[in-house]
Amino acid sequence: MDDYRYDNQTVNGFILSAIFWGVIGIVAGLWISVQMWLPSWNVAPYFTFGRLRVFHTNVLAVGLGIGAIFGITYYIVMRLTRVPLFLPKLARFHLYLFNVAMVLVALSLLAGMNQSVEYAELEWPLDVGVVILWVIFAIVVFGTIIKRKEDQMYISLWYVIASIVAVAILYIVNNLAVPADLFKSYQVFAGVNSANVAWWYGHNVVGFLLTTPILAMFYYFLPKSTGIPIYSHRLSIISFWSVVFAYLWTGAHHLVYTPVPDWIQTLAIIFTIFLIAPSWGSVVNGYYTVGSDWSAMRTNYLTKFFLWGITFYGLQTIQGPSQGLRTVSQLIHYTDWVPGHVHMGTMGWVTMTVCASIYYVVPKIYKTEIYSIKVANTHFWLVLIGQLMFSITMWITGIQQGAMWKAVNPDGTLKYTFMETLVPNYPYWQMRTVSGLIFTVGMLFFIYNVLMTMHQGKQRMAGAGV
Amino acid sequence: MEEDFDNIQEFEAKATAKKLPLGWLMLYIGLIVWGIYYFVQYTPAISGWTQASAYEESLGK
Repeated sequence: MDDYRYDNQTVNGFILSAIFWGVIGIVAGLWISVQMWLPSWNVAPYFTFGRLRVFHTNVLAVGLGIGAIFGITYYIVMRLTRVPLFLPKLARFHLYLFNVAMVLVALSLLAGMNQSVEYAELEWPLDVGVVILWVIFAIVVFGTIIKRKEDQMYISLWYVIASIVAVAILYIVNNLAVPADLFKSYQVFAGVNSANVAWWYGHNVVGFLLTTPILAMFYYFLPKSTGIPIYSHRLSIISFWSVVFAYLWTGAHHLVYTPVPDWIQTLAIIFTIFLIAPSWGSVVNGYYTVGSDWSAMRTNYLTKFFLWGITFYGLQTIQGPSQGLRTVSQLIHYTDWVPGHVHMGTMGWVTMTVCASIYYVVPKIYKTEIYSIKVANTHFWLVLIGQLMFSITMWITGIQQGAMWKAVNPDGTLKYTFMETLVPNYPYWQMRTVSGLIFTVGMLFFIYNVLMTMHQGKQRMAGAGV
Repeated sequence: MEEDFDNIQEFEAKATAKKLPLGWLMLYIGLIVWGIYYFVQYTPAISGWTQASAYEESLGK
């Protein structure tokens, strides 16, 4: 009965699922990084670049990202509301359904079923599955919040609520499609409207999956693990409402210099640039919090994960908005700069914060200590180095690519053919594979540490005769 | 199995709860002001600027 009361088992199950899908997604990432410079690594038809790339993005964003978000959100919500999960058995069913859906997601993408909309590749039966998963999540979380015994709602809960509401709206609108048969459907929007809706969704689904739920973790686990209270409540709240208000206007910054009307692009750029301020609200809040006692950086191994995580969030939220500017966009858009930008967010901010949260949660669930702080530190440095190498090499090659694309001869003709602009990428693409490997080794240290902590906890519980 | 609840009072500092760092506040307001400028400058219906005319102009250079 106990394990249903404070459903640690469901939380634990999601953490293990996230790790499992994380490994698969990272291996796929390494694989496609090799395919970029060694085409013979394409194995037709299932493991070609075109299929593996969407497999990589979906398995990591949904499997690792959302899997961890489901589990850790349940953990946070129970504790901040001081009540057990609303309908704990539904939450357990949520865990099983999530993994069934992930298997179908993985298989259908490898089979080549694809709606051909970025980040919305899944065909309509799986879209329905995703909506069911999300509704269950909403019922459990909102039910728990409504039944709460703690009057005040901490900032993390606000971020959780915003994420659930926003993703629901984005996902349903963007995935409105007309099914042709069981495995094929066509989006109801066409042309410029389709692009506008797709990037309104594409940009914000990243925001409300890889930003706001991760900020909920950051605001919860930073004070929990360091014992230092968050610097300013007002700063947290103003940042929250500003982020939530501004985010949904920004999608069209992905469509600068396209047939989308100029005024829509301009509006999107304004809100995009404005977002620097509330994003940095959280960054500043984090710095001032740890700044009140810098010794936490030495005394607690998790502090640096959170502080570097929020630092990458800060860098990401300066780089991202500046990419929206017309001048910057015309140089780096469609180049390898973009994956460099994305991976600083996913490998730096998201993964670092999620891993640190898991380091905090797992010993609590198993009533033990972390297996090895030394292994955790090794993990930290490897993922930091891997991620920086990845991002920086892609920025360099992206600028080079953009400059070559734009170069013209005096008579106005293009200076380089497209093929000529690809050749200089090779050393950078190879370096990317190396940095991916370093990152992967770091993640293996993390997984080893988590599994050993679980093992150690089980042994102690067995030893204590519990 | 006892579960330790969170004491929400420990999550946020009391003395600095209402502080907004000045530099950050200036950034916040500054970006709103910039946004108004950019809106006026780059909205075709207001300033007459269009993507197409900017392109034509760039060809002349």
